[in-house]
Amino acid sequence: MLEDELSVSTRERDGVAIIDLVGDVTTFAEEKINNAYAQVTSKGAKHVLMNFRQNDYINSAGIAILIGVVTEVNRNNQKLAISGLSQHFQKIFRMVGLAQYADIYQDEDEAIQGFATAAA
Amino acid sequence: MELSFPSELGYERVARDAVAAFARRLGFDQERIEDLKTALGEACINAIEHGNGRAPGLRVDISCVCEDGRLMVEILDQGLNRYQQRNVVASIDTKLSGLAPLRGMGLMMIAQLVDEAGFTESQDGRNHFRLALYRNQKTPVAQS
Repeated sequence: MLEDELSVSTRERDGVAIIDLVGDVTTFAEEKINNAYAQVTSKGAKHVLMNFRQNDYINSAGIAILIGVVTEVNRNNQKLAISGLSQHFQKIFRMVGLAQYADIYQDEDEAIQGFATAAA
Repeated sequence: MELSFPSELGYERVARDAVAAFARRLGFDQERIEDLKTALGEACINAIEHGNGRAPGLRVDISCVCEDGRLMVEILDQGLNRYQQRNVVASIDTKLSGLAPLRGMGLMMIAQLVDEAGFTESQDGRNHFRLALYRNQKTPVAQS
């Protein structure tokens, strides 16, 4: 089986919990993404940014994992944003309705500014 | 061009790359090729998971033909299960409220990304799914 290469890590910047996703987001990403989200949530994150990089391949199974994260974000009264997607995947995320539940930014800096503006 | 690969998740990436290279040679622009790659990946996953039921030892076959600026890609599984497009696709609101499975967006995505998509009639017991891309068609505009 040709499993995907996906690296998931977490960090904090200006009060925003950032989940960096580098690589392909498919059905094989579920455990890594859910673990990262659970980790930042256990530390009390209220603002969560999913920061994508080098994502040549995001499929519907990967998007379903992200919709699952949105479910938890709503349940935990957090705010979710997304950054770093290519123009193609920004289009896909809007197509499936994810943009209704997470602000989509071009890059991390813009997203951090967006959270700051919303909190002001 | 024809491809045949094992019916295992992950191999759809190989098909995406190969068909993208073919489309690039034919002069399709990059934005349309990205649409094709995503649509083809979804069609291959459906063939692996639904048509072939994720059974080991089966294969997925792809054929690509370009005529008059129309690239047709046909995806064939081995027909372990027959499946058809659902008329109603659950919205993200329905999914978030737990009233529909989180997955099940593949055919909707395909329909929005390419110029033609759907099952074709077959007598061989296999699922034949065809998608087509027009060289001069504008890329779809996503709803926000």
